[in-house]
Amino acid sequence: MNGTRHHVIIGTGVAGNQAARTLRQREPASRISLLTLSALPFYNRYDLPRVFHGVHDWREFLVDPPTYYDEQRIELRRCTRVVNVEAKRKTIMLGHNEELPYDTLLVASGGRAYLPEELSEYRPLLDGFASFEDAMAIRRKLPDGGTLAILGGDMIGLDLARTLIDTGHRVVLIAGKHTFWPHQETPEQRQELLQVLARMGIEILDADGEGGIESIQAGARGFATRRVVFGNGRECTADVVLPSFGLVPSVEFMLGSGIGIERGLLVSPTLRTTDDSILAAGDVCQIWSGVEKRYRFYYGWKNVRAMGDLAARNLTGDDEAFVPAQDETLHIQDGVTIHSPFWEYA
Amino acid sequence: MSAVVEPQDRETRPGPRMMHSEDPRDVGWVVQNIPCQAACPAGTNVPAYIRAIAEGRHGEAYEINRGANVLPGVLGRICSRPCESVCRHGWPGNGEPVGICNLKRSAADQKSTGHRITERLYAPTGKRIAIVGAGPAGVAAAHDLSVLGHDVTLFEREQHFGGMLRYGIPEFRLPRDVVDFELHNALRLGVELLRGQGVGNGPDEVRVVDLLAAHDAVLLAAGCMAPLPLPLKLRGERLAAADECPDVEHGLPFLMSLHRGERKSVRRRVAVVGAGFTALDCARVATRLGAQEVTIHIRTAEEYIPVTKEEIFEAKREGVRIKGLRTPVGIVVDGDGRLCGVEFVQNRLGAWREDGRRQAIAIEGSEFLEPCDTLLIAIGQKTVNDFLDIKVELDQWHNVRTGEDGMTSARGLFACGDFVTGPTTVVEAIGRGRQAAQKLDAWLMGKPRRKRVVQIVPIDEPLRERAFDFIARQHMHTAPLHDRLGKGQPEVELGMDDKQTLQEARRCYLCNLHYQIDVDRCIYCRACIEVAPRNCIKLVQGVEVLADGSYGSLREAREWNQVGAIWIDNNECIRCGACFRACPVKCISISRDEFVELDTA
Repeated sequence: MNGTRHHVIIGTGVAGNQAARTLRQREPASRISLLTLSALPFYNRYDLPRVFHGVHDWREFLVDPPTYYDEQRIELRRCTRVVNVEAKRKTIMLGHNEELPYDTLLVASGGRAYLPEELSEYRPLLDGFASFEDAMAIRRKLPDGGTLAILGGDMIGLDLARTLIDTGHRVVLIAGKHTFWPHQETPEQRQELLQVLARMGIEILDADGEGGIESIQAGARGFATRRVVFGNGRECTADVVLPSFGLVPSVEFMLGSGIGIERGLLVSPTLRTTDDSILAAGDVCQIWSGVEKRYRFYYGWKNVRAMGDLAARNLTGDDEAFVPAQDETLHIQDGVTIHSPFWEYA
Repeated sequence: MSAVVEPQDRETRPGPRMMHSEDPRDVGWVVQNIPCQAACPAGTNVPAYIRAIAEGRHGEAYEINRGANVLPGVLGRICSRPCESVCRHGWPGNGEPVGICNLKRSAADQKSTGHRITERLYAPTGKRIAIVGAGPAGVAAAHDLSVLGHDVTLFEREQHFGGMLRYGIPEFRLPRDVVDFELHNALRLGVELLRGQGVGNGPDEVRVVDLLAAHDAVLLAAGCMAPLPLPLKLRGERLAAADECPDVEHGLPFLMSLHRGERKSVRRRVAVVGAGFTALDCARVATRLGAQEVTIHIRTAEEYIPVTKEEIFEAKREGVRIKGLRTPVGIVVDGDGRLCGVEFVQNRLGAWREDGRRQAIAIEGSEFLEPCDTLLIAIGQKTVNDFLDIKVELDQWHNVRTGEDGMTSARGLFACGDFVTGPTTVVEAIGRGRQAAQKLDAWLMGKPRRKRVVQIVPIDEPLRERAFDFIARQHMHTAPLHDRLGKGQPEVELGMDDKQTLQEARRCYLCNLHYQIDVDRCIYCRACIEVAPRNCIKLVQGVEVLADGSYGSLREAREWNQVGAIWIDNNECIRCGACFRACPVKCISISRDEFVELDTA
């Protein structure tokens, strides 16, 4: 293996960071560039609910100290937007018009929060929970005892919900077909799960039962900041409205690359795309499952980390298939606690 | 810039500040450097009309459009936008493409009422031409041929003109008053209109041989209206074959009967198979007919289907779902013969096809069932030519074959549009209709009467400001969801207002502006290079000259002693004018280089 190769990794989430770590271990002399749109180095996104427990210093969330990247000779390029990948020239075009050549490329750009198209016009009235900055913004907007309305209620949003219940806030879940994403539960399980959420103190409204979400409006001065208006005329007021409908892979910059894309980057079980020098890992990729005979996503921190590690090993000579690293089932423990692997982080 | 020709048109008469050129270097420059115009099948001069909009001359912008694509108000709503896919503003690092199509609509919507139409009419020739089919290709050809002085009769089988525009595209995308206005504009130059008049072998139909006998030429523009069959296995004992199921229908006939005024209905869960505009239209119509769940099933993936992102977005906004990597292989019916599901096979993506789309490869043993109550099949169309009572040569797809001159193997019988090419887009059909008109005219008159040249006009100063490059793409307002799904199919896209239109027009780089450095006057101070926002001004050893005489790629110099010239790479240039303003010796010139059509005589 040529030790002076230039490995470029797009994305500094769990998969990208793990891949960089493994690559450095296996190829001490190679050049590794880690590109991220974020202003911060890799931090623990699964830990963001701690913001509501009073942890407000971004350094508390860093997984590795800032010196780690220098020590490991990993070129961390923050605030860097990738706009295109030219696979034939093995070149990445960056937003500031720089061309960055690579020998191998790992796409680990993850996913961004999905906002259903019918709600897109209300985007300015909605908050996100994808980054430290997002979490701090919600904290600032949410007064003590204030109300958060969660639309959809994927496992990321529900993680925040249970934190906010603990911190004395009011949480209203406007449930729909995306509730408990990415888990796929039966109608019976769903009813049980919703009952457990209710017992946890989360108020639950069924979006369809209310005639669907008609609009989201800014409240008048002196009243709750946001109003979610339903088709039957009822309203739900809240200080913050959080759409929580799962993730969509961040693949826009790959559209000109010629790599196969359906919703995510389509990869073989060894995480290879249709271009030998490009692999993908994490929430951005759909992996071929020979058993299920379809491409599918694998979520959860352990799976994503395993993909990052595997991709790095396959970039450096191995040729192994991905094996899921965690159970994907959602279940209720002791009748009172929801157990989701999506909430596990260690 | 040699070979100056003498034009017949006052508006384009050359003078000290204007010249015309057929030099391959000038022709090549325009083709290479104005990608939007090169991509437009109708050859629309996009930078010219956007500049007119930016200057508030909407009527002129509309006329520039009409001179090329005949139906700007229609295309401003439903064009497939090949221009925007290649727009320089959308190249990596430059942001999003200019909203060219939306601007076309703005020109049509915001022109003053009763603005002056410009038609350069030729003297009557006394030649009689019959055109079969009043769709986009037939209408475009009829317009051009009547302008050229011929007596045109247009035969249309349906009760109204417009073909696909009226019967294929739903009203919420293309209001019928817009279609009526634009068709009237195009056909009012003395075209004789025969509606409800079929051409073929039927009892009330006119035979093609009779048309040929009564006219100097006949142009077939009958479109591509027959749905492609989809072989489906049948599971269920009630029916003999899948196509007997009352809940399975082809998309285009479904839309056409709806638009003829027939009552159509769908059941609760609708599956649409297909990946084009017709499939999307079927899905969106189904939501308006009351379907609760509408899903489009495609063979590849959403990224590769040949419809605009805006259409996909609006369909999803209305609740339509899109599922990829699947091919339908069968249907399942219940004991009453009603549809209860479609069987698919899982696909994987294959290689790129020659047409730029992706292959889908079925995976053996991966069949699965999707429950649904109505299936609409919109996988494409084919031509029907069994109405021809004259023997003509066909190609491998059983489309009528035409020669370089646009004529079929039967003398005097021409063909154009989708009837020749198979299914394309409205703008392609219009472009081909216009080309056919030129060829037919040349055959009738014994020589081409129009030719394309490059018109070069010096410009005194840059027409753009650097600040324009940072204006975000303006997005068109659309109707609220609760208004869309009610009665009357109101138009979904509402157009851009004045302010949006101006902002969007300013975003255009005006790629028809040609920046050049006079190397004899250049002092190589590098001031232009210092202010250039991109790597657009280069020190070069030389410039490749291609086989057709046009310029090719630049050979950049790496050392000073290799420098042969300083050259503006117009491919990289975003026409910001910074170099022009910075040059201390004023050796940078700007000209507006664009195609115009002139008389050959």
